[in-house]
Amino acid sequence: MADEIATLISSMGLTQDTFLVFCVIAILVVGAVVVIITSRPILDVYPYLNPSSRVRARKGRLFDEKQISELVETNNVDEVENYLRGSPDYADVLDEYPLDKALDVERANTYDFVARLAPKEIKKPFAVMSRKTDVDNIKSLLTAKEVGLTPEETRELLIPCGSLYEELDALADSDSVTDIVTSLDGTEYSTALEDALPQYEDTKMILPLESALDKYYLGKLLRSTDVPSDENKQILYSYVGTQVDVANLKLIIRAKEDGLDYDAISPYILEEGYQLREWKLKDLMESPDVTNVVSGLEGTKYAEALTDVMPMYNETGSVALFEKALDKYASDYSKSLASKKPLGIGPIIGYLSQKENEIKNLKIIARAKREADFPNSKIMEMLI
Amino acid sequence: MVEIALGTALAAIGAGVAIGFAGLGSGLGQGMAAAGSVGAVAEDNDMFARGIIFSALPETQAIYGFLVAILLLVFSGLLGGGQGLPTEAGIVAIGVGASIGFAGLGSGMGQGIAASSSVGAIVEDNDMFARGIIFSALPETQAIYGFLIAILLMVFGGILG
Repeated sequence: MADEIATLISSMGLTQDTFLVFCVIAILVVGAVVVIITSRPILDVYPYLNPSSRVRARKGRLFDEKQISELVETNNVDEVENYLRGSPDYADVLDEYPLDKALDVERANTYDFVARLAPKEIKKPFAVMSRKTDVDNIKSLLTAKEVGLTPEETRELLIPCGSLYEELDALADSDSVTDIVTSLDGTEYSTALEDALPQYEDTKMILPLESALDKYYLGKLLRSTDVPSDENKQILYSYVGTQVDVANLKLIIRAKEDGLDYDAISPYILEEGYQLREWKLKDLMESPDVTNVVSGLEGTKYAEALTDVMPMYNETGSVALFEKALDKYASDYSKSLASKKPLGIGPIIGYLSQKENEIKNLKIIARAKREADFPNSKIMEMLI
Repeated sequence: MVEIALGTALAAIGAGVAIGFAGLGSGLGQGMAAAGSVGAVAEDNDMFARGIIFSALPETQAIYGFLVAILLLVFSGLLGGGQGLPTEAGIVAIGVGASIGFAGLGSGMGQGIAASSSVGAIVEDNDMFARGIIFSALPETQAIYGFLIAILLMVFGGILG
């Protein structure tokens, strides 16, 4: 057989050395093709492996249903605080701050943590989310000045986190809401606030300023995810877009409950929604009442969640039911997104959403425990 | 220049393919498992030992490739100065290398992904350790098939014995 192979090689006009070179080249070409094809999925997954493990480690430390029940069973807010001190995530912040502020700080730290570890391609929206603390702090400052709190009382309201904390802390000494707005000149929020300032000066209500901040934040968040080019980004876009839609819907429902018309609502709505586009939002804002807003959502993914609470709304007249239903929808939707890409963005979204819920629930429990004889069954109903 | 028979030279290519591709798969897999493990250890120091176990799992593909490459080098006469291989056995040797090389590449990458996921699952829920090991061990089978075929090719292709 060796002779036959040698004859075959020489009949092709090749020497043994040339044949060897061809063999090496063929192996290299086949190898390169195999490596390129097989390594592509690896390159997609690789940036997420380390962040996934880190967020899953923290997800494992979130309170489960049994622990939340134990917290609900506590007798007062001190017991809640002591219970939380047993969790490594809350122990540090509780050493430095009172309970409510500690929970706000923990939330801000969570967003910072996720923004830090998120892979580069999806970092931007999480970086925007981590700026929410600045928005909340500016709102607290404006509220404090509007109701005439002292600088010390104002500082108590600020969350000691975020990129603008030191500047905002210094602004606690400002004399008026207008001073705060003008002092924020040069920050990313200045244009939004200055545009809404005339409305504040006309009405002497800070609602236009707060809404301008919310609108700016949500717009920036939505635009930060504007090119959903792969599955991870598509999931992120759905997650962020749902948050924007839910915020818009909550605003419209509350405005309709207060009897406001299109002209009064439209300045505060972010027109470029996710599933609820500009024309749909216009329809909803033009609806005469809350019932028509809910029926106008037919065909959208929010319809079922809101229709389910319609009978209870008809009984109680409370729009808080819709807000809770929307929060629950957003939470369930995030959970479903989290399971879509387990070696990608899924665990990050899952952790962020569950941590957000945990903090909201802890705040509900803490608030309820401050009130005498607040029934535990009622607390359980209020939890997300 | 040292005179090497064509069969021996082909066996050398086979040895390179065996360790080259198996090592590549093993390295990629180990890199993925280690990336997940480092993340887990950053959050929970107790994960170190378990992270090492999962990171070490994709090492086996490189070991299989290394073993096959050594056998090819020894029995082709490149190591130990034995008799050179005939040309047809040299061609079989390329098949031997491809068998463990490509099987090790796929197996190593698959095992790396499974191991990294398992580390994530364990750091979230300690009870997942045993199940994580089982799932991570599954992609080992492809490397074992490749290794077995490589040995059979060497035995019946006139390289061993």
